[in-house]
Amino acid sequence: MSRRMSKTGRDRLETAIYATISVVSVLVFWHVFSVHMLKNEFILPSPMQVIGGLERLTLGYLGGNLLYHTGSSLLIVITGYLIGLGIGIPLGIMMAWHEPVNRIIGPVVAVLRPIPTPAWIPLAILWFGIGMSGKVFVIILSAMVPCIFNSFTAIRETPRELLDAARTMGAGKRTLLFEVAIPSGLPTIVAGMRIALGNAWATIVAAELVAASAGLGFLILAGYRNFEAPVMAAGIISIAIVGLIMNFAFQWFESRITPWRESEER
Amino acid sequence: MAMEQDTGNDLSFQNLGMVYEARTGSVAALDGFSFDVRANEFITIVGPSGCGKSTLLQVTSGLQAPTSGKALLNGRSITGPSPDKAMVFQSFSLFPWKPVKQNIEFGLRVSGMSRAERDELVDYYIGVTGLTGFENHYPRQLSGGMQQRVAIARALAMRPRVLLMDEPFAALDAMNRTLMQEELVRIWSEHKPTVLFITHSVEEAVYMADKVLVMTKRPGRLKCTIDINAEIGCAHWRTQPIDEVLLVPKFQELRHRVWEEVRAEIEVNA
Ligand SMILES: Nc1ncnc2c1ncn2[C@@H]1O[C@H](COP(=O)(O)OP(=O)(O)O)[C@@H](O)[C@H]1O
Ligand SMILES: [Mg+2]
Repeated sequence: MSRRMSKTGRDRLETAIYATISVVSVLVFWHVFSVHMLKNEFILPSPMQVIGGLERLTLGYLGGNLLYHTGSSLLIVITGYLIGLGIGIPLGIMMAWHEPVNRIIGPVVAVLRPIPTPAWIPLAILWFGIGMSGKVFVIILSAMVPCIFNSFTAIRETPRELLDAARTMGAGKRTLLFEVAIPSGLPTIVAGMRIALGNAWATIVAAELVAASAGLGFLILAGYRNFEAPVMAAGIISIAIVGLIMNFAFQWFESRITPWRESEER
Repeated sequence: MAMEQDTGNDLSFQNLGMVYEARTGSVAALDGFSFDVRANEFITIVGPSGCGKSTLLQVTSGLQAPTSGKALLNGRSITGPSPDKAMVFQSFSLFPWKPVKQNIEFGLRVSGMSRAERDELVDYYIGVTGLTGFENHYPRQLSGGMQQRVAIARALAMRPRVLLMDEPFAALDAMNRTLMQEELVRIWSEHKPTVLFITHSVEEAVYMADKVLVMTKRPGRLKCTIDINAEIGCAHWRTQPIDEVLLVPKFQELRHRVWEEVRAEIEVNA
């Protein structure tokens, strides 16, 4: 049985303790190394200097405060992500369900899949300029491809017996798709959405490093241009924090949309 | 369309043959299987593994078309799956994303039954199969025995004309298996659908059946039929607990006879 280990309160406490120990030791090592050994704040600022950098960002840096830049990145990510899901999931499902669709679109997807999305950024700028639309375009690509792939696999791997069982109970083709194949594949589809979110977040930062006038990637690049390592580090930390929050939000979403899987962990 | 003769039977298999085309060559799973089943009969089928028992059920359910011969239900050729032929699979085949109640109600909802009617039927079968209190559990939260009850309730709720069961108790432990055998007989006797029940257990076959069919080794044909009712001559023993029936000399004799027939088929291979 592939039953996962049960999560008791005791286990949770242990996890929290280990997490704290690991984060604190990295901070201590970082502090000791930067303040007492390297002593070069242009290359590696100390944790305290980074907090100072974060403080500067919150007060406002190059056209807006931290919230403004975060919001700018998030707006693009969410727009592109949702469009990417909206195209990718139905497309993957259609490809799996209708063989002709797969024959036509499958080869295109097979070619797109191994291209790391950042490779598209210069071309997107050429096509759409450095504004929002070029970035939304690459985010759509970054989110769409894993969604197509996972949705396709999810539907193709619907257990034959479940389809057979539904057919013996009188289910037609539509019912088989919407009430058997899609719910059966939902965990895999949602896993694709999770990969897509990570991709999208990585891609927006990359895109803002190339060309932008706002956003967290833009902040990092600005910090680099102004020789302000604390600003760069603060930008990285902001990216990490937003990424973490997105992950938690996603976990919550996952447990809501596939509640039957949580019961495995009892 | 070819004229189909009505044999007056519920199910009729006429010279049924099935050849699978696989990459490694073709496999004849059934060859010349013929048998007529009367309405309300409880038929158990035994035979060496790989002799085509599951194939026979797949053809009866309409999930697969035979490559030769035909299968008739009520005089009509079986052309596809339909709710009047319910199937209980060995691996339960429950929908993991649906709680017990929704699993059982699936077929009724698909067939367009109103909510009130559905509720009444589902509640009835939840009660009959001993699932009361588990309506909102997901299949994974249930033991194997309970999951199999859900699968049976789901099939029965369709009130099928034919109930097809492919080694339904194979995954259960010995105690649950005995309980389920007795309960199935009890539940079945309420509406008496025609049953085709595949099993590896000769004891189970002889305990529950009106007739036991023994199949030959692959390609499967009917080897012999043992008419349990005729052999017993009086009231069927399946209404009594198994542990008592096990002591009945006639039961032991029939069990022995069926086993000898099956064993001969297995030993031909060896
Ligand atoms: N879909 C299939 N494709 C190819 N061969 C199959 C298929 N299903 C069953 N067979 C073969 O047909 C034979 C009969 O199978 P089956 O009906 O499952 O036997 P049983 O249920 O009696 O064990 C076996 O040799 C099996 O390998
Ligand atoms: Mg079988």
